[in-house]
Order: sequence, then structure tokens, then C-alpha cells
Amino acid sequence: MIVAGVDLGTECVKTVVVDGDAKILGRATVPTRGYFQDCFQEATGTALQEAQVSASQLAAVCVTGFAASCAPISSRTMSETLCHARGAWHKTQGPMTVVDIGGRDPKVIHVDARGTVTSSRSVRKCGVGIGTFLMFASRHLDVHPTRLMDLASSAEKAAPVGSYCSVFAEVEVIELLRQGSTAGEIALGCMQSIADRILEIDHFEDPIFVTGGVCEYFPGVVKALASRSALAVEILPEPILTGAYGAALFALDQARG
Amino acid sequence: MASTDRTAAPEPGFRASSRLKELMAEHFTGVDRAAREKSAPVAWCTSVGPVELLRALGFQVFFPENHGALLGASRVAGEVMGRAHAIGYSPDICSYLTSDIGAYLARKTPLSRYGLSAAPRPDLLLYSTNQCREVRDWFEFYGREWSVPVVGVTSFRDLGEVEDSHVDAITRQLEALVPALEAVAGRRLDPAALELAVERSRTCSDLWRQCLEASAARPAPLTFFDATIQMGPAVVLRGTAEACDYYRLLAAELAERVAAGRGALPRERFRLYWDGMPIWGRLRDLASLFAGLETSVVASTYCNSWVFDALDPRDPLRSMARASLELFIARAEGPKQRYLERMSRQFQVDGLVFHDARTCPNNSNVRFGLAQRLRRTSRVPVLVLDGDLNDLRCFSDEQARTNIEAFVEQLEDAGPAAAGGGHP
Repeated sequence: MIVAGVDLGTECVKTVVVDGDAKILGRATVPTRGYFQDCFQEATGTALQEAQVSASQLAAVCVTGFAASCAPISSRTMSETLCHARGAWHKTQGPMTVVDIGGRDPKVIHVDARGTVTSSRSVRKCGVGIGTFLMFASRHLDVHPTRLMDLASSAEKAAPVGSYCSVFAEVEVIELLRQGSTAGEIALGCMQSIADRILEIDHFEDPIFVTGGVCEYFPGVVKALASRSALAVEILPEPILTGAYGAALFALDQARG
Repeated sequence: MASTDRTAAPEPGFRASSRLKELMAEHFTGVDRAAREKSAPVAWCTSVGPVELLRALGFQVFFPENHGALLGASRVAGEVMGRAHAIGYSPDICSYLTSDIGAYLARKTPLSRYGLSAAPRPDLLLYSTNQCREVRDWFEFYGREWSVPVVGVTSFRDLGEVEDSHVDAITRQLEALVPALEAVAGRRLDPAALELAVERSRTCSDLWRQCLEASAARPAPLTFFDATIQMGPAVVLRGTAEACDYYRLLAAELAERVAAGRGALPRERFRLYWDGMPIWGRLRDLASLFAGLETSVVASTYCNSWVFDALDPRDPLRSMARASLELFIARAEGPKQRYLERMSRQFQVDGLVFHDARTCPNNSNVRFGLAQRLRRTSRVPVLVLDGDLNDLRCFSDEQARTNIEAFVEQLEDAGPAAAGGGHP
């Protein structure tokens, strides 16, 4: 039995193809650009190719994420919250706090020992609490987003960026540049800003696992999360795929009837 | 705003300020000592709450709003507010509350400069909702944390005229508080002690008003930014002899400055009025910016909030009730407008600055068209600054600077008639 899970996010579309034992046979991540349908085809086609199976062999496809409704094929749709919790719990098998930091809205998800979501809360409508803010910031720092982490790692101190509005935060970035802050200090400040907004969402209970794309590309956010909360925060393996993997597990449930 | 281009060095500070520092240090260490050594009952009181009852019963009194302001001014607020948000206190409610509860959860306090490791733990918390509902929720958090009584007055808000029936109702609530306060204090309320506390509060109020009114002179010897510091004893020592002594000292020094024609700024081209809360984390930056623009913020609603004209030792409880209701913050738009018109005339201001504090709707007076009405009736230009008392995420330095500079340019453009001509 082979199934797929697809997470159509605001920054990336991710597909995971698994077998009946929930073992990953193929995976793909493509940046979100243009129509979601095309991104879906590209990611799913690549993952199927890696798994060396065809689309017709899929017993079920579960989709999740911001643009789940755009998926051209699916047999099931599940929320990101449940998919991230399911994907994370499959790897840890215990109660935990899952922090999903994606391109859109970070979430704090409490999961009990049986893998059931007991509560979930997203960041308030605040542009500075979302991963996409780092993309905006990199534009003003005149670097590719993937360079932001290197820059932040080079900084000894952060240049604080604090605003509820990402547009005004961008102005702050420009102001900091005018005042002579280094790009590294600003990059670190931006990551700390996201960490601070996440810490305000809800209470945290050990152990804490981070999922989502931001921690894959910007581990500085997780480092800031740990240092500013004084909590032990771990990143799950392949964090960007957690939602898609969780969706694949739901697809397996469906295929098994 | 951290690096302003157009700034000016302030005039040398007040001689009285060295006594101010001593007084504030004695206040904080005194309450802390009482809490630790159990040498006197300790109460927390809202800043315009019925503190005279506490003084008369021998309580040492701590004012958490003052702590909130210190958290803002020291910018510790930004580090700790998130702790309160995470346990369910919204970023949209009073940032004094979220700063203070966040500081408690994070075990941080700017009072460490006085040797305190935390805000002194009270035996009782006493609120009045004459300013907002948040104070009650704030105190109830600590009531639950420490299992101590939380008592208070549920007041009227948005009052047009203060009627006898309103005063009666609050007086009855004050009377009803007495047994609970006596139980914690371990003594009966001595009427003479209450009269003395009210008399001292009234004296303090009169002297503080005298200090603020010194800035009706040209040039003004005291700016709003100075006054937010100088008002410390009027807030935390109201009802004590020490507060009265301090303001005698300050009033005399201000009178000297007025007589000598010595203003707070090297040059005073324009005079402004500030309505709303201070932006504590940017107090110094804003003071420098206005000074650089040779613009003196000569008066404010905020600093006048500790002027209680109704207090009367011959009728302590009833006058306390009336004073608590006559406060600007407890009033409807009509009395607020009349008050601002009167203050604009008295202080001869060229413009009004309204601070719209995101988390303090109760002390932001631009949300129901008041600024526009005043512009029409007083013909005084109005500037609205978006910001917050403690949450600097709601404040844009660049936007504020641009707006303030543009406002002063607007006053310049209006010509000599406008410079000091708003209210001759």
C-alpha cells in the first residue's frame, strides 16, 4: 500500500510518499510560486519519481495547508494542526508541545500521551510573528533569504526589531541600517522578534518540538526560542516535512479503511 | 528615535531632584522592609484609589501602576510582557498590567536599583475602577497568586456632571471597605487619622497643582517630561507629610525660575499640551526631540490627574468619593472637552498633542472625535501620535518623529500670529 501526503503552504509545497509501514519512499519540497496546482504537480511528481511509483498506484492522498483546497487530486483533507501533531507524535510517541513555524502563522499545539491534540493556538494577526517576515527582511538587507542565517550567526548582539506590523518592522530595519547596525545584528533581531511573538502565543510544556519550514532554513529562530524561553527546544528531523508526513499518516488510515 | 538629529541639551536639573531621589528610594525600601519584616501591613493601591484609608490604618502602600511606569521607562516591559500574553492576558489590554504580571513571572524588576528583588508582597490589594476595569483584573491575578484579599470600589465612568447620587454611592462603597481594611490592619479606623491623611492629600494636591501651574509662565520652567518624573511623590506618597514637604521645595524652586525668566528649554518658540499617557520607553527621546525643535510641552492631562480639588478633611469619605469621580479620566466627552479648552487657554498653548495609546483606551481621548471638535472650537492645531504607554511594538519612532517635525513646521508656517498666538 502506498499513499501520499501533501502540505500546500504559503512558502513551500511539500509532498511525502509512504508505504504501508509509514516509511518514507519519496519526498519533495518546492517553493510556492504561481498557481498552487502547478506546485502540487511539481512536488508530487518529484516525490513519486523518487519513490519510483506512479500516481495511479496511490491508494489515498491526504492534503493539508493554506492551499489544500487547490489540490487537483485528493481523497482527504486535514488541518495543518492535526497533521503537524500527528507527524510529530509519530516520531516522539509521547506528550509534547509542538511549535509549528511555517511561512504563515506559527502555532503552539499541545499533544497528549495518546497523540490527541488538546489545544492549539496561532499567533495573533501580526506580520512580525510569521516566517514570511524573514523574506521581507532579507530584501532590505540585500541578501538572499538563505543567507540570513549565516548573517545572524555572525552577530554578537541583536539589533532589536519590535513592531506588530511587518511593514513598520521593515521601516525599522531600514532605520537600523541608517543607524549603522550590521546586517547580521538585524538578521538576528528579526529572528528574535519571531521567537518572541511565538513565546507569547501560549504556555509551553516540556518537551518542546519544533516543526515547519522556518526552523529548517532559519535555525536561529529556534535558538532564539530556546534562549529567550530558557526551555529545551528540539527540532524534529526533516521539520519542513512534518505536516506532509502527518497528512500521509491520515491517508494511510483512510486507505486501511 | 534613539538617535535624533535635532536635539538640544536640557537645562540643568532641579535642585529638588536630589531630595526626590531620596524620597523615592525611601518609599520603595520602606514598603519592601515592611513586607519582609512584617513590621507594618502592606497594601497595593491603584494610583488614584482611596489611599487615605490605608494611610490612616497604618499601611505601607505600593502602587503597581508606578511599577508599570518604571518597567516602561527602563524598557524591561518589552522583555517581559510576552510572559503575561502567554498565560492569556491579551496584548490588547493595558500594558502596565501585562508588563507588571510579566515581570512577576519573569522575576524581573527595575526596583533592583533600590535593592529590591521583586515588588513588595502585599497583605491586601485595594482598587478603584474610576480609571479602568483593568486594575481590578490586575489585582485579582495577585489575589489568586498570594491568597490575599482584593477589595475595592466599582466606580462610575463617563460621567457628565458629578451628581450627589454618584457621590453617595461611592461613599457607601468606601464605608463598606473599612471593616475589611481594619481586619488586615489589625486596628480600628481612627477618624482623626483619616482626616489628617485627607488633609495631607489635599495639601499635596494643591502644591502639585501650584508646581504644574508654574508652567503657565513664559517661558515654562517645567515640561511635561520633567513633570512625569517630578510627580513621583504625588503618586506614591499622597497622604503623607513627606510629599507635602517635597512639593513646597519644588514649588519654591519653580517660583525662582519663573521670577528669573528661566525656562525648561534654552529657547521656547512654541508651547504644546499633551493629552494621554506618557510613552515611557521614549520619554527621553521625545523630550530631546521637542527641545531640539524649541517646543516646550508645558502641560498635560496626565500629570494633572493627581490634582484632587474636592478633598476636604472636614468630610473625608464623601470628599474622597467626589474627588475620585471628578477626575478627567472618569468623565464624559463634554467635561473632557471643556477641561482641555480651559487648560489650552490657561497655558497659552499653540497646539495639542494627543497620544492614542493602543492598550489604554480609557486614557486615549481621540477615539470619539474630541480632537476634531477641539480643533474647531479652540482653533488650536492638533497632532495625534499613535503609540503606547509601555508596548513599544505599537510605536514607530520614524513615524512619530516625522509627524512631530511636520507639526512644528505647521506651527512655523502659520506665522508669528500662531507662535504663542493660539491663546493670547
